[in-house]
Amino acid sequence: MGSLAGHEAGTPSARDVITADGLGIEFYRSRRRKLSLREMALRRENTAPKETFWALKDVSFSVGPGEAVGLVGSNGGGKSTLLKMIAGVLLPDEGSVKVQGGVAPLIELTGGFLGELSARENVLLTAGLHGLDKHEISERFDDIVDFAGPQVRQGLDMPFRHFSSGMQVRLGFALITTLDEPIVLVDEVLAVGDRAFREKCYQRMEDLLSQGRTLFLVSHSEADLRRFCTRGLYLQSGRLVADGPMEDVLEQYNASSA
Amino acid sequence: MFERYSRIWARRAILQTLVRRDLRVRYARSWLGYLWTIIDPLAMALIYFLVFAVIFKRPDAGHKPYFLFLIIGLLPWQWFNASINETARALVAEAKLVRSTNLPRELWVIRAVIAKGIEFLLSLPVLLAFVIFYVIKGDTTLNWRIVLFPVALVLQFILLTGIGLLLAPATVLADDTIRLVRIVLRMLFYGTPIIYTLDKAPDWLQTVLWFNPLSGILELYRAGFFPERIQLAPLLIGASMSVGFLVWGSLSFARMERAVLKEI
Repeated sequence: MGSLAGHEAGTPSARDVITADGLGIEFYRSRRRKLSLREMALRRENTAPKETFWALKDVSFSVGPGEAVGLVGSNGGGKSTLLKMIAGVLLPDEGSVKVQGGVAPLIELTGGFLGELSARENVLLTAGLHGLDKHEISERFDDIVDFAGPQVRQGLDMPFRHFSSGMQVRLGFALITTLDEPIVLVDEVLAVGDRAFREKCYQRMEDLLSQGRTLFLVSHSEADLRRFCTRGLYLQSGRLVADGPMEDVLEQYNASSA
Repeated sequence: MFERYSRIWARRAILQTLVRRDLRVRYARSWLGYLWTIIDPLAMALIYFLVFAVIFKRPDAGHKPYFLFLIIGLLPWQWFNASINETARALVAEAKLVRSTNLPRELWVIRAVIAKGIEFLLSLPVLLAFVIFYVIKGDTTLNWRIVLFPVALVLQFILLTGIGLLLAPATVLADDTIRLVRIVLRMLFYGTPIIYTLDKAPDWLQTVLWFNPLSGILELYRAGFFPERIQLAPLLIGASMSVGFLVWGSLSFARMERAVLKEI
């Protein structure tokens, strides 16, 4: 850890909503981890190189409620991997990450949507997948569609695959951000949409923060990071090298990557 | 294992959502959707009837009436076949959703079994129609053992879930699983007493067939519609194998989960 260590880290308290302890995950370097059945049958003689690397290693930190944390680091540093582990869609090989309360993951926004169904059906079904009951969905349906914009409303009964990718993402963003989950994970999605919509997204994110949600943001945009985050985590080749005020962490990142 | 299942139970509302989504997709594309669920087994029944009863003149391969016998075997087989194909691909096909939602991953398998199971239930009116037809004609009578029908259904559900939990991660980790599954299924069709009864096979083969869990399950499905005695051995073996598959599948699924999530 650099000179900025010490901020919050190492002093976990009962109030913390995210606690990572010695988190590590190991990946195969070659894309061909996949064995063919022939190889499995022949005593696992995998012809691909067995070299592995740790996408994350020994990562420990804790985040209190209402904190806004920005993750920085160059490509391949482990930012998205960390986000996915907090979201629970990747499981650690070492250590643990504990999350109090639910997570609203703005990771694969259109992941739950099916091209053949109409946008309306998609919203109903995907909201259900994220844990909203019928009553909550009908209460929020109009909000979601309004936020996604008039074009989306016009096409509500059209098959979803006829939507432009921008419209698809809008609907996804609108849906996930209406969830009540106390933790919001954002992975680069702010880069999508036109300028007007981006402004709306910013507004929505600020609303979420002011409601006391905990935010975890991955971004390469310093402006975004400065705007939303008070605390920064800097990941370098899977290790946590800095944890401190956003401004300081950005400075350290810029200094080391320059 | 029980902890995992209580988590799944807690998310049963989501399971319902997923199943409804599956059925909606299946029936949204064409109004023929429902017809397809029943045309397939009917067509197959007709073919086997023509081949065995008309051409080979051996309608005694199964119980009488042979056509009814065929339908009662083919409908559950269709569920079995479709469910295995679907569960093998359950994680791969929904990769995006698996990657973006933190649900108990077993749900993706169970939902496919249930969705195909509902299609099976929806095809039962066809069976009912033929039963009424043959009863009125006086070719067969119903008996109290019809209460075993739901038992068979539960056992088949358990069996399919177990096998699905084994296959879904295997497909993620090795692409060619699907091909193997297809070949095995095709062979298994003839290795299952669907177009013939167990006791038509020579003794040594019968013993082998007992270890096909579907043998016992099909005996249960048929019991209420035919007067013939049911064999106990395949029943007991089938029931324990179904439960065994579920336990094996659950344990293996939990062990593979970490690797699967990395690959998907």
